[in-house]
Amino acid sequence: MDDKTRRELYRVMVLSRTYEEAILREYHADKKPAFDIGAGLVPGEMHLSAGQEPAAAGVCAHLRRDDAVTATHRPHHIAIAHGVDLDRMTAEIFGRETGLGRGRGGHMHLFDPQTHFSCSGIVAEGLPPATGQAFAFQRKGSGRVAVAFTGEGAANQGAFHESLNLAALWKLPVVFVIEDNEWAISVPREASTAIGSNADRAAAYGIPGHRIEDNDVEAVYTAAGDAVVRARAGEGPTLIEVHTVRLWGHFEGDAQGYRPDLADVPGRDPIPAYEARLTEAGILNAGLATSIKDEAVARVEKAIDFAKSSPVPAPQTALDYVFA
Amino acid sequence: MSVTESATAPAEPAVRRLTTARAMVEGIAQEMERDAGIVVLGEDVAKYGGIFGSTAGLLDKFGPRRVIDTPISETAFIGLGIGAAVEGMRPIVELMFVDFFGVCMDQIYNHMAKIHFESGGNVRVPMVLMTATGGGYSDAEQHSQCLWGTFAHLPGMKVVVPSNPADAKGLMISAIRDDNPVVYMFHKGIMGLPWMAKNARSVAPVPEEPYETPIGKASVAREGRDATVVTVSLSVHHALDVADQMSAEHGVELEVIDLRSLVPLDREAVLTSVAKTGRLLVVDEDYRSFGLSGEIAATVAETDPGMLRVPVRRVAVPDVPIPYAHSLESAVLPTRERITAAARELVGA
Amino acid sequence: MTDVRFPQLSAEQPDAEGVLATWFVGDGDQVASGQLLGEVMVEKVSGEVLAPATGRVRLLVAEDRTARQGEVIARVE
Repeated sequence: MDDKTRRELYRVMVLSRTYEEAILREYHADKKPAFDIGAGLVPGEMHLSAGQEPAAAGVCAHLRRDDAVTATHRPHHIAIAHGVDLDRMTAEIFGRETGLGRGRGGHMHLFDPQTHFSCSGIVAEGLPPATGQAFAFQRKGSGRVAVAFTGEGAANQGAFHESLNLAALWKLPVVFVIEDNEWAISVPREASTAIGSNADRAAAYGIPGHRIEDNDVEAVYTAAGDAVVRARAGEGPTLIEVHTVRLWGHFEGDAQGYRPDLADVPGRDPIPAYEARLTEAGILNAGLATSIKDEAVARVEKAIDFAKSSPVPAPQTALDYVFA
Repeated sequence: MSVTESATAPAEPAVRRLTTARAMVEGIAQEMERDAGIVVLGEDVAKYGGIFGSTAGLLDKFGPRRVIDTPISETAFIGLGIGAAVEGMRPIVELMFVDFFGVCMDQIYNHMAKIHFESGGNVRVPMVLMTATGGGYSDAEQHSQCLWGTFAHLPGMKVVVPSNPADAKGLMISAIRDDNPVVYMFHKGIMGLPWMAKNARSVAPVPEEPYETPIGKASVAREGRDATVVTVSLSVHHALDVADQMSAEHGVELEVIDLRSLVPLDREAVLTSVAKTGRLLVVDEDYRSFGLSGEIAATVAETDPGMLRVPVRRVAVPDVPIPYAHSLESAVLPTRERITAAARELVGA
Repeated sequence: MTDVRFPQLSAEQPDAEGVLATWFVGDGDQVASGQLLGEVMVEKVSGEVLAPATGRVRLLVAEDRTARQGEVIARVE
């Protein structure tokens, strides 16, 4: 991996984390003194991706704008890594008319046709449409691929198994990426999954399966590179499982009383660890890290300002866009 | 041949009649000829031609790249249809029996139906989900349901229910050309299959050229002044049979409205007819409560209940799973006997 | 005058009986060669009856009646 690529992975992760920190701030700012989920400028559920940046950055580095990505209820890091317009994404999270979905979808239902990005709030159900996008790409002979992100809990859902079988059977150009953040809300993987690694499930469908440990963005990058090349070459799907960490709650407002390792969690933050690694390799220094962070903050605050100054959808338009 | 015979003009060919199944297939085939982006996916749709004949002959015409047998993975292949549609194709996906919606409904109602709205209109899902409905041939609880009330209830998908061959072709072509997801529900009893008892109107004239039957517009299958019968699918034929008999035996003229579409629903057609007759009977092979028949009654009640000279009557399947034994099944389906009894009560005959 | 015969759907039982399931044309209708006239069933297999010639068709077996494979079921005059 060259230095430029490694620095770029770092930059994407910093941008993503900066974004989530800003959304965290905005989300809670007007829900005081006691948490009221429906209150404030960003109401509803909020699922933030702090800690999971390596999966998004390492995979999306190999994708072009016309490759498709489907994500889950925890989509921000993936959307950012794939190049979704930050202003319109933020406006959508704030429920504004200028949002990706004109405020109709919100944070779990981000659709960006420009980058063929979509997400869904139903666990595992983003996989079947991703296989459909791959099917269309295969027809066109375009070399384009689809990537479907999901969680380790979702790997027990029927849609996961049906999608892997169908994609393998028809050799669809799709890569399935599981973010194993160890927790399906409050249920740890060992309590839900009969086997030790979801990557082993790939064998059941006759496709390659890789498990990446230690939330290692460069190992993700390498495995994803192989998978994307394989898919573009018409050789079919791959399953990648990234053992990552969920630094915050499942949703904002989650006290995480069920989580015994809570004290250890901040120490598992992948970004300071990668910063240290790149610094040691002479690719990064304090000054450069600061300027990357400052740029990220500026970009994110601009997006937040854009969202806050955008109009709220008019109630009279509530019935629009049901049908084309 | 004599001189006089040779001067006779050649006879006109008889108008061309098809079964509903063949008419549907013709609609699909003509569109597939026109648009290479149309593919057909489902269980047993290729060599078998669909277990109810909905895709018969398409494999021979268009080959295995466009007429595709899927594994038994409804969630996966319906979802695949969604993704393909999002990327510009126009898939026709078959759900073999509507009763199977339970295993794949998330993709249907939470994805296929909602993506356009969630994206603020920026993403389109131009797909057709076709599915077989209906009972009357002892296929019991899990293979005899209609369920259009369930689909029509959930926003974001159009629902069409043809009753006859000409509408079957026209609605299929309209459904394919529509940029929205359209659920196309065909009753097995109208298909004109050689292996199932069929009513006479399952074979009827069908224009040869491609044409669209408008989605969202009911048709007046029979005009009458004494009572309005609003219905859909196979029940249209039972209603017409009852109407003929009541005209002959009692001099009562029933008006029969074939809704053809449930979403969008042609409420105007219902109101216009009831305003004229003052009496409303809804015949619906779906379950009675919380469905289509209640929706039709509500449409009248919330517009002008004064239109009605007598209360609304409904003949539907009475909130019970559809039994296997023939004697029991025919007691719960909306048979001609039940329709006749209700119509007679309605008009006081 | 051309005979229209019930198609041979079962090779193992050439004399098997089947049903005239559907007529798409009426007795006396003008038909074209190759036109779909009807549909038949032998046990579980269905088959098509096509017009062997152009002319006026005379139906000899009513719908839902049984007939044997090879039996003359209609004529085109």
